[in-house]
Amino acid sequence: MPLSLLLESLDPTHHSRNDRRKSRTSLSSLLTTLSHLFLSFSLYLRVGYKTIDTKTKAVLFGSVLFSFPMLSSAKHQRNLRVSATNKNKASSISPSSPSSSSSSSTSSSSPLPSQDSQGQKRSLITMEEVWKDINLASIHHINRHSQHPQHNHEPRFRSHNHQNQNPNSIFQDFLNGPLNQEPAPTSLAMGSASNGNSTTVTALCSSPFPPPATVLSLNSGAGFEFLDNQDPLVVTPNSNLHSHHNLSNIPSFNTPFEALVTSTCFGKKRGQESNEGTGNRRHKRMIKNRESAARSRARKQAYTNELELEVAHLQAENARLKRQQDQLRMAAANQQPKKNTLQRSSTAPF
Amino acid sequence: MYVRRTSFKDSDYIRKDCERVKKYICLLSRGDPLVVGRVVGDVLDPFTRLVSLRVTYGQREVTNGLDLRPSQVLNKPMVEVGGDDLRNFYTLVMVDPDVPSPSNPHLREYLHWLVTDIPATTGTAFGNEMVCYESPRPPSGIHRMVLILFRQLGRQTVYAPGWRQQFKTREFAEMYNLGLPVAATYFNCQRENGCGGRRT
Repeated sequence: MPLSLLLESLDPTHHSRNDRRKSRTSLSSLLTTLSHLFLSFSLYLRVGYKTIDTKTKAVLFGSVLFSFPMLSSAKHQRNLRVSATNKNKASSISPSSPSSSSSSSTSSSSPLPSQDSQGQKRSLITMEEVWKDINLASIHHINRHSQHPQHNHEPRFRSHNHQNQNPNSIFQDFLNGPLNQEPAPTSLAMGSASNGNSTTVTALCSSPFPPPATVLSLNSGAGFEFLDNQDPLVVTPNSNLHSHHNLSNIPSFNTPFEALVTSTCFGKKRGQESNEGTGNRRHKRMIKNRESAARSRARKQAYTNELELEVAHLQAENARLKRQQDQLRMAAANQQPKKNTLQRSSTAPF
Repeated sequence: MYVRRTSFKDSDYIRKDCERVKKYICLLSRGDPLVVGRVVGDVLDPFTRLVSLRVTYGQREVTNGLDLRPSQVLNKPMVEVGGDDLRNFYTLVMVDPDVPSPSNPHLREYLHWLVTDIPATTGTAFGNEMVCYESPRPPSGIHRMVLILFRQLGRQTVYAPGWRQQFKTREFAEMYNLGLPVAATYFNCQRENGCGGRRT
């Protein structure tokens, strides 16, 4: 039972157990369970690979991971362990590194089933810890937060991205395209975006790296060209898109444990993702609405000015007519006494 | 005594007139409705009114920015052109610069009406209707309908374009040497029911 031994040794919590119990577990039963799981997993993978198109591959791969949490984790573990042993970086795995390295190097083909069954027996948190330690060891990337794995999730995201860059896993078929080429800064930006800290950070990080092809397809071509004359709004759509893209990547690489343990957190991320997706459209609508409002104001102002001009014009005309009338009345008044005198004069002679 | 009173009244009138003229100039400088409504700019270049233009739809006289519905503009309006010399001829153009919609007018200027050879002091009834009147029926948004009056160089010097779509008033004026317009007015037209509909 070299594999089970190895697994036990890897896990810091089970380190104190005695080795006799492990030796008692039957090798045959473990092997059968392993084969079953592996067969079903490979079948799932093939079906998934055929049906999925390249864009949604990553997301569906995440769902596959969900359906087979234990297997995927085991697989990751094996790959990572191999890489770790090759690089002789197993020393960072604190409890019993020499035994693990030796056992893994000797038996790389058979070990999967035992790991799987053991993993199922264990609690989720301990498994997570194991995996995290291995990841960190293989990456040469020791996080400051590695001592508190349950309290924050960002280091795990980072480590997963790094791990996917290793070319030795069969999951590379699913991770083709922009996901592999994503550098570390974008993953950092992803972390900040997932926390919802600020969009400026994502904008800064996304500027040196051109957005991947999926982002361009989301961009809808020349839709944002007219935004160039808008003052502060130019930065936000790109950053929104980028963060959206990153957010869409996150769930695909979540460990199943994370999904199980922090299910509420995952739901929140889903909500954010949908928000970011509609944010683009909402922004367009906002711009259009502003233009429309400006047009409406101009229309109203024009009509008001027209009416004011008309009022002024009519007032002027009214004043002119009034004056004319006054003059006429005065003329009449001037004529009136003449008439009277004339009449008098005419009536005067007796 | 009478003379005194009238002189006082006259000075009063003169003072009031001056105030009105000042106010008028102030209003004009603050914003000509054609400028504020972006008719000058979108369709025309800045110009000075030289001839009066009076457009009447039924009983309603069109003032700049008036809101009219398609049912009110179904029939062609009565247009009266000012001026003094009957030997002057004018061209009236009616265009819609907001096609297909005000937010995205990529088919800018649809020709609704073109009447040439209108003698001064008369109306469109005495002119030559080159492109017959097509009543505005904006599908979406609030469209401006602009009526522009040009002074022709001579009689029968202006001809109709081949089609109504993609009409360019500036190019049209340049082609027939019409120069700057001598008068213009515009009104708004939107869908019968609702307020403009979707502005897509």
